[in-house]
Amino acid sequence: MRFQFTEEQKLFAGAVREALEKTCPPEAVRSGPRPGPGWAALADVGLFGAHVAEEYGGLGLTPVDTVLAYEETGWFAVPGPVVETGVVAPLVVPADRLADLAAGRLVVSARPAGDRFLPDADLADLVAAGGRVAPRGAVALTPHRSADPARPLFTDDLDAAGAPGLDHAAVATAAQLLGLGGRLLAEAVGYAGERRQFGTAVGAFQAVKHRLADVAVALEFAGPLVHRAAYSLAVGAPDAARDASAAKLAAGRAAHAAARAALQVHGAIGYTDELDLRLWLTRVFALRPAWGDDARHRARLAGALLDGVPRRLPEGP
Amino acid sequence: MDLTFSPQHQAFRSRVRDWLAAHVPAEPLPSMDTAEGFERHRAWERTLAADRWSAVSWPREYGGRGADLLEWLIFEEEYWASGAPGRVSQNGIFLLAPTLLAYGTDEQKRRHLPRMARGDDIWAQAWSEPEAGSDLAAIRATAVRDGDGWRLDGQKTWSSRAAFADRCFGLFRSDPDAERHRGLTYFMVPLEAPGVTVRPIAQLDGEAGFAEIFFDGVRVGDDAVLGEPGQGWRVAMATTGSERGLTLRSPGRFMATADRLLALARGSADAALRDRAAAAWCDADAYRLHTFRAAADLAEGIDPGAASSLTKVFWSELDLRMHELALELLGPDAPAAGPWLDGFLFALAGPIYAGTNEIQRNIIAERVLGMPR
Repeated sequence: MRFQFTEEQKLFAGAVREALEKTCPPEAVRSGPRPGPGWAALADVGLFGAHVAEEYGGLGLTPVDTVLAYEETGWFAVPGPVVETGVVAPLVVPADRLADLAAGRLVVSARPAGDRFLPDADLADLVAAGGRVAPRGAVALTPHRSADPARPLFTDDLDAAGAPGLDHAAVATAAQLLGLGGRLLAEAVGYAGERRQFGTAVGAFQAVKHRLADVAVALEFAGPLVHRAAYSLAVGAPDAARDASAAKLAAGRAAHAAARAALQVHGAIGYTDELDLRLWLTRVFALRPAWGDDARHRARLAGALLDGVPRRLPEGP
Repeated sequence: MDLTFSPQHQAFRSRVRDWLAAHVPAEPLPSMDTAEGFERHRAWERTLAADRWSAVSWPREYGGRGADLLEWLIFEEEYWASGAPGRVSQNGIFLLAPTLLAYGTDEQKRRHLPRMARGDDIWAQAWSEPEAGSDLAAIRATAVRDGDGWRLDGQKTWSSRAAFADRCFGLFRSDPDAERHRGLTYFMVPLEAPGVTVRPIAQLDGEAGFAEIFFDGVRVGDDAVLGEPGQGWRVAMATTGSERGLTLRSPGRFMATADRLLALARGSADAALRDRAAAAWCDADAYRLHTFRAAADLAEGIDPGAASSLTKVFWSELDLRMHELALELLGPDAPAAGPWLDGFLFALAGPIYAGTNEIQRNIIAERVLGMPR
C-alpha cells in the first residue's frame, strides 16, 4: 500500500511544467497561434505518445504515470485538444495512425456520444465522435460560440456511437481542472497580497482569507479522488467508471469554486478581458461540462453507489 | 502507487474483524455522558485492553501492539464498521498519549499509559478557559512554584468527559512575565486532588458531556509536569500537525456513517437526496484516500504541519453534512431518530472543538497559502 507517486511520475510532470513555462505564458494562450508552441513542447516531452503502445513508438504509460502531467496542462491552460489527442486518440484511432500520434504529428478532436461539441476541431487531422473516426475534411463542422475563445467548439454530422475513452478523458479533464483551480487560487492569493484598501493588503481580511481557505480545502480533497481514479483505470478496477465520475465531479466543483473566489477577490479588474485571469476562468467554465457534464456523472455515481455495492478502493470493511 | 494491502495487513484486518464480531455488545451502550453509561464504556475499554485492542499503535510495553499507521487505520475502519461503542478514553489515548510518548519521562509513561490503556484512568482535556477559547494563548490559570512542587489556581471549561473522568491534562501559566506563548507549562492533574472542583455542564442533548474545572490551591509535584516548565505551548502543539492531525478523527468513522447514509437513501424516491447521499459518500471516500496519502507522506518523513487544518475543516463539515442529510431523508421521523439525531447533535460540535473552523481557516490562509497576517 502506497498512495503516492513515484519519482519518475513526478519528474514527467516536472518536465511538462518546465516545457510549458517556456512556451505557454498567458500571452500565448490569449493571442498566440493555436495550437502553438505549447503544443509542440508537449509533443517533444512525449505527452501525446504517452498512452500509445511501445510497438507504435509510444511510451506505453498508464493514467497514473500522466495524471500529474495533465494537472500541469491545466495550470497553463494550454490551447489545443490536449486530452482528446493525448488520452482519447490512442483508444480510437486506427492502428496505422498510431505511429504519427506517438510522434506528435497527429491532432485529434473527439467527443463521446451524449456530448454535443468537438473542441478545437478546426485544428484536427482526425475527428472522433464516439467510436466513429473520420478525417476532418470528410466531416461537416459547424462552429459555435464557446465560453473560452481559446477553445472553439464545433458540431459535426457524425452519428456518434458509444463513448470510448470517456472515463480516461474524464479523469484527464479532472486533472486539468485541478491544475486550473490551483492556478486560480495562486493568482488570487498573489493579488490579495498586493492589492491595498483601507491601508492594508486585502488578503489580511478574514472574509478574503476564509473564502480562499475553503478553495484550498476543496482542491486538497479533490486531488486524491482524481489520483485514485487514474489508478483504477490503470489496474482495470471494477469501479473505474464510478471513480472517474467521482473525480470529475469533485474536481469540477473545486475548480468552479476557485474560479468564483478568484474573480471575487480580484474585483472589477478580474471581470475584464485585460487581465490574464480571464484565461483560466473561461477554461474552467469550458471544461466543466466536457467529457460528461455533472448530471451524467451524478447519474453514474448514484447508479454505482445506490443500486450497486459501494465497494471501497483500497479494499475496506 | 499500490492500493492493495500486504498479506500481513490483510491478516491483521481479519484478526480485528473476528475479535470485534465476537466482542462488540449487541445493544448500544447508554450515553457515556451519564454516570451509568460512563462506567459501561469504561468496562468496554477494559474488554478492549484485555486483548490489546484499546491502543493498538502504542508500544507493547504500555499495553499496545506496536501497530504501524496502516494497521491503525485498518483497526479504525473495522472498529467503526462493526458498530462498536464510542471511545470514552478518546482524549487520553489520542490527545495526551502522543504527547506523553514524545515528551514524557520513562517514569511518567510507565505510570500513566498502562492505566490509560486499561481504562483505569479516563482523562479529560482542560485547555479552554472562560477568557481563552479560540485565543488559547490567553490562558490565565496559574502554576506557582511552591516548595518542591507547584500550586495550581484558576478555571478551565468545556472540558470533555470531565464530569466523570479521573484525571485531566492542560496548560497553566507558570511565568506571568514571559511572552504569552512562552510562560505556559503542561500539567497532568488527578481530578480527586484536594482543591479541585468539577461542575458538570449539560450539553445540547441534556447530558453532562463537559464540565468546568476549578483549581483552588491544588498541590502537584514536578512529576505532574509534561515536558519542561515554560515549554507547555510547544509541547501541546508539537504533535497537533503530525500523527495527531491524522488520528484525531479517523476516516473509518466517517465511512461507517456514509455507508449507513447510503442504506437510508436507498429507501428514498427523492432523486436530489439520493444524489446528495452519493456525493457525501464520495466525500468520505476522499477523506479516506487523503489519509492514505498522508500516511504515505509520513512514512517518507513528510510532516503535514499546518495542512492538518485543511483536514479538520473538511471532516467536521462532512460529518455535519451527512447527519443533516440523514435527518432530511428521515423527514417527519427525524425528531425521534435516535442514533441519527444523537449523531447530528454530536456533529454540530465538530466545527467548534479542536480549534474552531474559523481559526483553522486563518491557519490555512496564513501558513498554508502564505496570506498576510
